Amino acid sequence: MFRISSNLYKACIYRHTPIRYFSAQQPSRAHKYMYVTSHPDYIPMDWKSTMDRNAQTLLLTELITGLMVVIGSMFKEPVTINYPFEKGPLSPRFRGEHALRRYPNGEERCIACKLCEAICPAQAITIEAEEREDGSRRTTRYDIDMTKCIYCGFCQEACPVDAIVEGPNFEYSTETHEELLYNKEKLLNNGDRWEKEIAANIDADFLYR
Amino acid sequence: MATRFLRSISHISRFPQITKPPSPYRITSYINHVRSITTSPSLFKTDPVGKPLNIPDHKLKPQKLPVGENQEGFEEVELFDEDGVDHGKGSVLFPDEDSWKWDRDAEAFPDITLSTLTINFGPQHPAAHGVLRLIMEIEGETVRKCDPHIGLLHRGTEKLIEYKTYTQALPYFDRLDYVSMMCNEQCYSLAIEKLLGIDIPIRAKYIRTMFAEITRILNHLMAVGAHILDVGAITPFLWFFEEREKMMEFYERVSGARLHAAYIRPGGVAQDMPIGLMDDIYDFLKHFPARLDEVEDVVTGNRIWKQRVVDIGVVPAKAALDYGFTGVMLRGSGIKWDLRKVQPYDAYSWVDFDIPIGQNGDCFDRYLCRMHEMRQSLRIINQCLNQMPEGDVKVDDVKITPPKRSEMKNSMEALIHHFKLFSQGYQVPPGSTYTAIEAPKGEFGVYIVSDGSSRPYRCKIRAPGFYHLSALDFMCKGHMLADVVAIIGTMDVVFGEIDR
Amino acid sequence: MFSWWRTMQESGGLWNSIKIIYRRSDLRVGTLVGEDANGNKYYENLRYQFGRHRFVDYKLKEFDASQVPPEWHGWLHYMTDNPPTKVPPVPRKFHAEHQANWTGTTKDYVPYSTTRPRIQSWIPPTNKQ
Repeated sequence: MFRISSNLYKACIYRHTPIRYFSAQQPSRAHKYMYVTSHPDYIPMDWKSTMDRNAQTLLLTELITGLMVVIGSMFKEPVTINYPFEKGPLSPRFRGEHALRRYPNGEERCIACKLCEAICPAQAITIEAEEREDGSRRTTRYDIDMTKCIYCGFCQEACPVDAIVEGPNFEYSTETHEELLYNKEKLLNNGDRWEKEIAANIDADFLYR
Repeated sequence: MATRFLRSISHISRFPQITKPPSPYRITSYINHVRSITTSPSLFKTDPVGKPLNIPDHKLKPQKLPVGENQEGFEEVELFDEDGVDHGKGSVLFPDEDSWKWDRDAEAFPDITLSTLTINFGPQHPAAHGVLRLIMEIEGETVRKCDPHIGLLHRGTEKLIEYKTYTQALPYFDRLDYVSMMCNEQCYSLAIEKLLGIDIPIRAKYIRTMFAEITRILNHLMAVGAHILDVGAITPFLWFFEEREKMMEFYERVSGARLHAAYIRPGGVAQDMPIGLMDDIYDFLKHFPARLDEVEDVVTGNRIWKQRVVDIGVVPAKAALDYGFTGVMLRGSGIKWDLRKVQPYDAYSWVDFDIPIGQNGDCFDRYLCRMHEMRQSLRIINQCLNQMPEGDVKVDDVKITPPKRSEMKNSMEALIHHFKLFSQGYQVPPGSTYTAIEAPKGEFGVYIVSDGSSRPYRCKIRAPGFYHLSALDFMCKGHMLADVVAIIGTMDVVFGEIDR
Repeated sequence: MFSWWRTMQESGGLWNSIKIIYRRSDLRVGTLVGEDANGNKYYENLRYQFGRHRFVDYKLKEFDASQVPPEWHGWLHYMTDNPPTKVPPVPRKFHAEHQANWTGTTKDYVPYSTTRPRIQSWIPPTNKQ
C-alpha cells in the first residue's frame, strides 16, 4: 500500500543497492556472483545523482518512507494468536506428549520389546518386563523421564506395534520436576484420554507410514 | 599552582610511554596536561617547548641529578618509583633548581586511576545472542580489547556422539545451530552417505535442498531481525518472526517438530512431504518477497541504520581469510566463495541462483548479502518445487534405512531389519571424511572417523560461528561500545554450535 | 476491524462486550460449531483471517488451554476440518475422560513405581521381653 517505486527507492540510497525481485528473476548462468554494493570509493558525482542524494538528505525521504510503511502496517489485522482462545496450527505428525496406546479391545499394545529404550538418544525410557499371569509378555515398568526426552520421535518410529506414540498434546507443563517423571499408569492414562485424536492423526497420515 | 604542576609532572613520569599510540592509557588527558604545563618553560631543563612528548628515547637517558643540599657534584639517580615503573625509559621531565626541592609526598602522587575500565558484558545480556560473555577493556566508550569467553553452553556433543549409533547421533545436530536445524542434519547425513558410499534418490535431494533453503531463510530472518533489533529497531524483528512462524509450520508439517526436526536422515529424509505442503510453500514464496521489501523500505536506506552499520566491523578480505571466515562473513568482504557453487551437493547443481558478494566488508554489506541471499533462496525453493520429481525419499537399502511401517507390519524380513536398525544400528565402513556444506552461517563441517562399527569413532564438528567469534577482538578494536552489539549481531553467533 | 458495531451487538451489548474484552482481551463473534462435555463452546468465523478463524470460549472462569478435550483439540488446532459434531470419534470402551492440566493443585500427578520393590528394608527384630 505504501510501496515506494523501485527507481525512486534506488535513487534514495547513498550506496547503490540494486534490489532484485524474486518473481522477475530469469534463470541465467551469466552472473553467478553479484555485488550487492558499489565500491566504497565510487560515489556518482553527476548532476542527477548529486541532486537525488541531497534531496534525500534534506527531505528525509527514506525516513518518511519507512515511517509510512510502519504506519501502514498499523492498519493491518493483527496476526498475533490470542492464545488460549485461539490456537496455532498443528499437523498430524506433531510430536508432543507421550502416550501408551491400547488395542481396540482394551489390551495394552506394548510387548516390552525395548526397541524404544534402545533407540532413545537421551536414554529417557526405562523398561522392565515380566510374564503376566496369562503368559503374555508385558511391561511392569515403563518410565519416561520427560525432562530428559528430546522429542525426536525415534521411540514412536521404533515401536513395531504403535504402542508408544508422541501425541498431539503439548499443554502439560508442570510446576515441579517430579510431575514429569511419567510411569506406565500415567502413560496409559494419557493414551486412554488422547486415543480419539491419536487414532485420527495416525489415520490422517497413513499414506506416509 | 605549584602542586598542580608537579602533579602533572608526576603523571608523566608515572606513565612514561605515552608517546606510543596503542598504549592502553588515557593519552589525550596527558597531552592536555603537558600542554598546559609547557606554557611555563622554566620547568623544563630539556625545554622543547610545546613538544615534550616527541623527544626520542635515546636523548632521555637517566641523567646525573643534583641530590640533597650538600651535594659534591652529581650522582646517579634511580629513576624507578615505588611501583617499579622505569621513569628513565620514556620521556622524562626534569625539575629545575627550584622544583627538585619540592616535597614529592603522597599528596603529590595522588591515587588517580588512569587505566582502562574492564567491564563484563553478558552472559545474560540480551544483545549477546545467547550465553556470550565478553570481558571488554574500554577507554571511555572506545573498546580497546574484547575477549569472548565461551563454553557456557558446552554439552559435550562430540563426545556424546561417540557413544551413540549413527541414527541416535542425528538429533544432536539439530541442537548445534538451533536456528538452522536442517542444514546441520544435512551435513551429517552427507558425511555418513559419503562413508557408506551411497547415493540418495533425486526426490530426497530436492526435498533436502528445498528445506535447506527454507532453513537458510529462517536463519537469515533471525540474524537480520536480531541485528536490526540490537541496533535499535524492533518492528522488523516482529515482522520477520511472523514469517519464521510460517516456515516453522512447514517444518512441523513435514517432520512433526517446529524446530528440532530430525527430518533429514542418512539415506534420504524421514518421511515424504504431506500432500498440499508444496502448494503452501509456493503460497508463502509468493508473499514473502513483499515482506522483505517492506523491511528494506524501512531499514536499508535508513540513515540511522546506516550510521550504525556502514563502516562498522570492517573485515578486509585478507583478514577474513586469515581468521577462517566462511559464509556471509567471507562474502561480505568480497571473496567469491560459496560451497553451493564450488562443490555443489544434493540438488544445488541443478538449480540456478546467484551469490551476493559485498565489497566493503562492513556490517552493512553483510546485511545486504543476507537480504539478497534470502531472495536467492526463494529462487532455489521455487525451482525445487517446479522440478520436484516423483519417487522414493530414502535409499532402497534395507540395511541402512528402516522400512516403511506398513511394510514392517506385513513382512517378517522387514521386521527383522527394523529391529536390527533400531537396536544395533547400521555399520559404516572404516574410514574418515570431512564433509562440509554451506550452512546459513558459513561452512558447517563434520569430520567423522569410522572404525567399522555402528558408532562413530570420532566426530569433530566445524562450527562457522566459532571462527567468526574468534575475530571479535579484531573487529571490535577501536569501535565504540554500542558497535560491539552491532558486530555481534552481524556475526550471527549461535552458541549451540560454538560451545557444542 | 469489520463491523465492530455488529460484533458488539452480537456479543450482548456494550457492557457484555467490555466484560468479554476484559476476560479475553479480544472481542470476536462466530457461528457456534459445537460444545464439548465441559461446556466449552467452539466457534468459527471464516471472515477472520485464516489461522485465526476458530476459537473457543471457555466455560470456567479459571480457563486453561489444557481444558480443550482431544476430540476438539484437533479441530481447534486446524489439524482437521471435521469437528466431532460432524465426524464423531470411534468409541472405545477404554476411552477415559479428559482431564485438564492439574499441576499446582492437589489433583496433580505424583510419580510412583509400578514394580514391586526387589529389596525389602530391614525391620529390626522386636525384643519379646
